[in-house]
Amino acid sequence: MNLKKASMPTRKAFALRMEEMGALDKDFAVFESDIGYSTYSYLFGESYPERYFNMGLAEGNTISSAAGMASCGRTVIVCGYGVFITLRAVEAIRTYVCYPNLDVKFLSSHGGLTAAIDGVTHQATEDIAYMTTLPNMKVLVPCDTLSAKGCFDLALKTPGPVFVRLMRDPLYEVYNEGAELTVGGSTFLRTGKDITIVGYGDTVFQALEAAEILSAQGIEAEVMDAYSIKPFDREGFFTSVKKTKSCLVVENHQRRNGLGYEIATLLLAESPVPFDILGLRDTFGESGNYNLVMDKYGLSAACVVEAAKRITAKK
Amino acid sequence: MEVIKHLEETARAVRYHVIDMIYTVQSGHPGSSLSIVEIMTALYFNYAKIDPRNPLWPDRDRIVLSKGHACPTWYACLALKGYFPLETLKTLRQFESLLQGHPDKNKTPGVDMTSGSLGHGLSIGVGMALESRLSKRNFRVFVILGDGELNEGQIWEGAESASKYKLNNLIAFVDKNRLQMDGTTYEVMPMDPIDKKFEAFNWEVLSIDGHSFPEILWALKETEKIKDKPVCILAETIKGKGVSFMENIREWHGKAPDTAEYEKAIKEIGRVIL
Repeated sequence: MNLKKASMPTRKAFALRMEEMGALDKDFAVFESDIGYSTYSYLFGESYPERYFNMGLAEGNTISSAAGMASCGRTVIVCGYGVFITLRAVEAIRTYVCYPNLDVKFLSSHGGLTAAIDGVTHQATEDIAYMTTLPNMKVLVPCDTLSAKGCFDLALKTPGPVFVRLMRDPLYEVYNEGAELTVGGSTFLRTGKDITIVGYGDTVFQALEAAEILSAQGIEAEVMDAYSIKPFDREGFFTSVKKTKSCLVVENHQRRNGLGYEIATLLLAESPVPFDILGLRDTFGESGNYNLVMDKYGLSAACVVEAAKRITAKK
Repeated sequence: MEVIKHLEETARAVRYHVIDMIYTVQSGHPGSSLSIVEIMTALYFNYAKIDPRNPLWPDRDRIVLSKGHACPTWYACLALKGYFPLETLKTLRQFESLLQGHPDKNKTPGVDMTSGSLGHGLSIGVGMALESRLSKRNFRVFVILGDGELNEGQIWEGAESASKYKLNNLIAFVDKNRLQMDGTTYEVMPMDPIDKKFEAFNWEVLSIDGHSFPEILWALKETEKIKDKPVCILAETIKGKGVSFMENIREWHGKAPDTAEYEKAIKEIGRVIL
C-alpha cells in the first residue's frame, strides 16, 4: 500500500495535541489513572501540573471525580485504556457523566485488537457497543496522527461527553494538513462504484489495502472513514450506497452491537442492499503480532477482499 | 439557644414534609431520610454558604447527597429554603416532576449533583474540592454518606485520593444508622471500626450524635481548624428517627406509610410552627 508509515500512534498524537492546546485553553483539566506514560498524558502533566490529577489505579474514582469537577463547569479529559474506562467504570460514565450531560471527554487507548501484543485483558473489543449505547455520548475514532489531533479539537469544543477511541501502535498516515473533521462527519478516502467499505480507526487501512487488490480484479470499492461513529454520517453513507448498491463494514470490535449493527438497521429501514460485517464473531482475541491476529480473526485486508467479492456477487 | 431552637423547629418541619410527600406518592425511603434530617438542616439553615435566589452561584458550597435515596429530606430542605415552592414536594417521584426518585442535577434547583447509585458521592466530592482549589473560589464540599454505602469499594478510592490531595475543604458525614436494606450493617457487611478506617486513610475523624444540633454545629466549626486533611464527621444516628414505630426497623428503609401510620407519624412529629 502506497501510504506513509505513521510516525506515532493515535494515542500519542491526541495527547500531544492536548498538551499543545493546554497553552491556548487555560481551563480544561486532565485526569489520569496511573498509565500516563502510556496514554502520554504525562506530557500535559509536565507542562500544566496544577491542572493534571493522577488518581492512581482507580478508574471508577477517577471518572466520578472528573464528573464532580465537571459539575462545576470545567471541561475534564479522562485518560485511560478502553477496557478499564468503558467496562470497569461504565456506571460512572453512564450515571455521573452522560445522565447529567457533563463536559467530560475520554482519551481511550488500546481500542480493538490494535493492542494485539498485550492480549485480551488490554484489548477493548466491546467499547463501541457500550459507549454508543449511552445517551448524550458522542463517539469518535481517528485513524492517523492528523485526524487524532483533529478529534482532540472536536472533543474539546463539542459540548457534553465525548469518547475518543485510540490505538496503541502506529500504522499509516492518510489525512493531509487542513482536513476538516466534524462531529457527524466522515471522509471518503477512495471513490468507487461497486461497493462501499466502511471502516474506522485501523480498519480504514485494511479497507484501503483491500480496495487496491479489488481494483486489480475489476471491483472498484469506495472507502468511507467513519471517524464519527456517533453521530454517524447517514447522509454521506446513503449517497455512497445509492451508487454502489452494496456495503461491507469492517470493524475492530465485536461484530455484535458495533457500527455494523447500526448500519444494518439503517439499511433495513431505508433500502436494503447486499451487506455484511467483519468483526469479532462472539470471541475474544489473543496475544501476538497485529497482522497475524487480524488475519486469524477475519479482519485483514485479505479477509476484506474475500468478503467484498462475496457481497458484490449478490448484486 | 435561639439558634438551636430554630433549627429544631426546622427539623420538625423537614420531618413533616418527608412523611407527607412519601405518603402522598406511596413510595420512597422514610427510614433513610429521617436519619439525616438534623445533618441536612444544619447545613442548609445554619452553616453552608448558599443562596437560594442564585442556585448556580459559582462560589456556593457544594452539598452532595451520596445516599441519594434519602432525597425527600434534601427536597424538603430545598423547598423550605425557597429553592422551589413547598407544593412541589407533593409531586415527588411523579411523572414529569422536578423531584425525581433519586436526585437529578439538571431537574431540581439546588441539587448540585446527580446521585442515587451508591459509592460515587465521595469521589464526586473529591472532584468538586479539587475544583474549589483550582478555580480559587474556595468553596467547601459536604458529602453525606450512608454507613451501608461504605461497603462500596469506590468509597475507599475516594478516601485515598482526598487524602493524597489533603482536601481539608472536603467534609464527609457518615450517617451511621446501623441498618442497610437487607439487615443490620453488622449482619450484611461489618464495617467497624469506621473511625479507624478513615484515620488509616489519613482523614481527621470527629464522632458526634447525628441528631444533636449542638454537636453537629460544634463538629462543623471544628472542621475549620483542620488545615491538611479531609474530615469525616461520624454521626451516630437512628434510622427512622422521630417516628417511634419506624425507628431502628429495617422494613422502613423503603416503605410508604398507610393512612393510619401516616396520621400517627404526623401526630408524633407534632405541630409545625414555622
